[in-house]
Amino acid sequence: MRKVFKIYRPFTHAGVLIAAQYRANFFFFILGDILRCFINYFLWHAVFTSGGEKTFAGFSETDMVVYIFISFLTSVIAYSDGSYAVGEEIRDGNIAMRMIKPIRFDLAFLFQELGERLITVTLIFAPMMLGVEIYKFVVTGVIGFNIVNFILYLFSLILAYLITFYFNVCYGYSAFILKNLWGANFLKDCIVGFLSGGVIPLAFLPPVVAVTLNLLPFASQTYIPVMMYVGMFDVPTIIYSFALQIFWLIFFIILQQIIWNACVKRMSVQGG
Amino acid sequence: MKMLRKIHRMFKLHRIFIKQDLKKLMEYKIDFLTGAIGMLLTQAINIFFLSVIFARIPNLEGYSFEQIIFIYGFALLPKSIDHLFFDNLWAIGHFIIRKGDFDKYLTRPVSTLFAVTVEKFQVDAFGELVVGIMLLGYSVPKIAVSINFVNVILFVVAIFFATFIYTGVKLITSAIAFWTKRSGNITYMFYMINDFAKYPTTIYNRVVRTVITYIVPFAFTAFFPASYFITGGNVWYNIGGTVVMAVVLMAVGIFVWNKGVSAYESAGS
Amino acid sequence: MIYVENLKKEFKKTIKDPGLKGSIKSFFKPQNEIITAVKDISFHVPKGEILGFIGPNGAGKSTVIKMLTGILTPTSGRCEINGKIPYKNRKNYVKEIGVVFGQRTQLWWDLALRETYTVLKEIYEVDDESFKTRMAFLNEVLELEDFITNPVRTLSLGQRMRADIAASLLHSPKVLFLDEPTIGLDVVVKDNIRKAIKAINAEKNTTVILTTHDLKDVENLCDRIVMIDKGSKVFDGDISDLKSRFGESRELNFVPENIDIIKTLDYKNEFKLSDDDFELSDNGVEVNVRFNSNKVSVEKMLNYTLSKTHVKDINVTDADIEEIIKGIYRSEVNLDA
Repeated sequence: MRKVFKIYRPFTHAGVLIAAQYRANFFFFILGDILRCFINYFLWHAVFTSGGEKTFAGFSETDMVVYIFISFLTSVIAYSDGSYAVGEEIRDGNIAMRMIKPIRFDLAFLFQELGERLITVTLIFAPMMLGVEIYKFVVTGVIGFNIVNFILYLFSLILAYLITFYFNVCYGYSAFILKNLWGANFLKDCIVGFLSGGVIPLAFLPPVVAVTLNLLPFASQTYIPVMMYVGMFDVPTIIYSFALQIFWLIFFIILQQIIWNACVKRMSVQGG
Repeated sequence: MKMLRKIHRMFKLHRIFIKQDLKKLMEYKIDFLTGAIGMLLTQAINIFFLSVIFARIPNLEGYSFEQIIFIYGFALLPKSIDHLFFDNLWAIGHFIIRKGDFDKYLTRPVSTLFAVTVEKFQVDAFGELVVGIMLLGYSVPKIAVSINFVNVILFVVAIFFATFIYTGVKLITSAIAFWTKRSGNITYMFYMINDFAKYPTTIYNRVVRTVITYIVPFAFTAFFPASYFITGGNVWYNIGGTVVMAVVLMAVGIFVWNKGVSAYESAGS
Repeated sequence: MIYVENLKKEFKKTIKDPGLKGSIKSFFKPQNEIITAVKDISFHVPKGEILGFIGPNGAGKSTVIKMLTGILTPTSGRCEINGKIPYKNRKNYVKEIGVVFGQRTQLWWDLALRETYTVLKEIYEVDDESFKTRMAFLNEVLELEDFITNPVRTLSLGQRMRADIAASLLHSPKVLFLDEPTIGLDVVVKDNIRKAIKAINAEKNTTVILTTHDLKDVENLCDRIVMIDKGSKVFDGDISDLKSRFGESRELNFVPENIDIIKTLDYKNEFKLSDDDFELSDNGVEVNVRFNSNKVSVEKMLNYTLSKTHVKDINVTDADIEEIIKGIYRSEVNLDA
């Protein structure tokens, strides 16, 4: 990791500086977003009280609460500005400048974002994890922290971030067609949020739908890592899920490369 | 007479800017459509989410699916109307003051608050407005809401004042920027509390209930007025409370705003 | 018309150590520093005058303009314009003034220019009849016709400035404040703007207060100039005043072989010069003598200097307005006479 860091260190460093500058701002925005988790928490609490059943689609109330908060945490960490960044570059024509530089376009972005993520993670990761574990302890009376699940989650989270990043970079190229990024990105965030299990666990959906959505790359962005943390996957499912994540990561890296090559070709033929 | 002329003038100004923003909408049709579809989809997903829940439980704390939809749709109306007319308040906390652009409002012979809010008509809000109306249209026939003259008047009154609860919260929090240069993040944090209003307050614990009833009273933008129409009871608390909260918030908001403007005048940018 | 007396403006600035620690410290124990942007400024402008308000960056020009336009409240002192105090009853006061900030537009980015004027007509309560005649006049002077249907965001900088000036004049203000109205414009456009300002001033005897960094603006337009530096007034008078006092001034610069020689030079007694007409300074290598060429000829100065010293280099220069002002900015001459 350190060696790679050295090559693209300036970008990471810039990312850290940018994020540090906005950390107070970020903090308030996150507080605003966390409110949504609490709404969902109360809503599910009422559902479990009203329903009289102990579990829904295999989720106990505790599992559900853990799912709400960890899926929020996951979506904050595995979030990428890639589509905005690429879109902006295309709109203001800077993308042409990228082509004449001897560095990889995607890696430069990636390492800048990693720098920004560093601040995000230090600000919210530990407090939220701790909060969730304390909740589990208060409700169940036993320390439910499972180190194996946690490590599986970490690996899956890193893959989830990389998939999200490359997916967003690919999506960002749509700026060649669409002018206003805000609308397109809003639409994308909305769809991805749902398909990735950010709104409701995919297990709650009708089986055919759930199985299909599980295969799509979006599940790899939130649902899979969270399920690893909650500990609701058996060993074959864990192996299968990692394989799926790796497949999607490779898929998007290659797709990104293909689009990029096409862009370079187009630019050099048409002159931008 | 003078008052009438003043109001006429205000409407005329509004009309010019509304026309401007509608024209812009036509210019960027596709972008508006993608945004609007996103907005519709977000709401549709939320409704779907509720229906998934209700597939497993008969009612939520005694409220039926249709009643929850009514509250949810009701919540969208004041939210989107505030969004339509007072969206520029966000810009105060985000960049107008920080970039020193507030000066120009002080050289106009109209109140700064009017000058700031009139110049933006946020067409994006149409999405929420339409969804809100649709949800009410769906749920009203299915729940026992009596449609009569008094209730129609009360409905209009409730929506009107509930809108100013949103505006008041934005006004107070964005005026903080007069002292701190930027407060968009604070506005965001408080504004997000409005999401709590979409569900019956009975599902929350006491702390949350107190906060959304008396401190950041978004409960009066949806649950309380809507529950009057659902149960027909307690009109003084449910609708009257909305009026009182709106008046209080706007009074505090205008007071803080004016204090902020004079702090700005003596501090400069 | 405009009276400004002992105007003073102080800002409180929080001192913050860098980093998060500094932020936390300043939150709990804020430390303030008082910055005096305007120390003590007094002047008076009669109706119909075009006053050039000049000074280097950071001299306090904008702060004064902001106090005069009611945007800022002075710390002490007073200003009165048209018998009104700007920062009291602001809404009423600003109906009688027009303000243009050259650096940023006051127009609405997406509105067509024509619509902008309709908005301003409503805001300033201009009746239909006066609006018509006013637009006709502004159209003629500022040539808005070519781009009046375009949205503001599509205008060029020169067009935008003309549009902004017209916007500030729609309600026929008695006083017009122009803060750097020619900034960033090319020579031809600058010239057009100047002509327009003159025409506007002539038409209704509108008082104009203008800040600028372009001294051609001053020479072309201003009846009088007030110059400020570091928050204090350093000159107040008309252009001819400035010229007659300093237009005859010359600068003699020379590099003597031995700098100590200047002790033996006594220009003052030799030519019977007063303090106003003469000033000597040196930087350890070069000697700079400013003198009034009406009182003593250049030839005599040169002869005297050369007879007393051996010089490595010598030259005489004219002091034009720009030089004088630069000199004042550098506070090389003291004008508090």
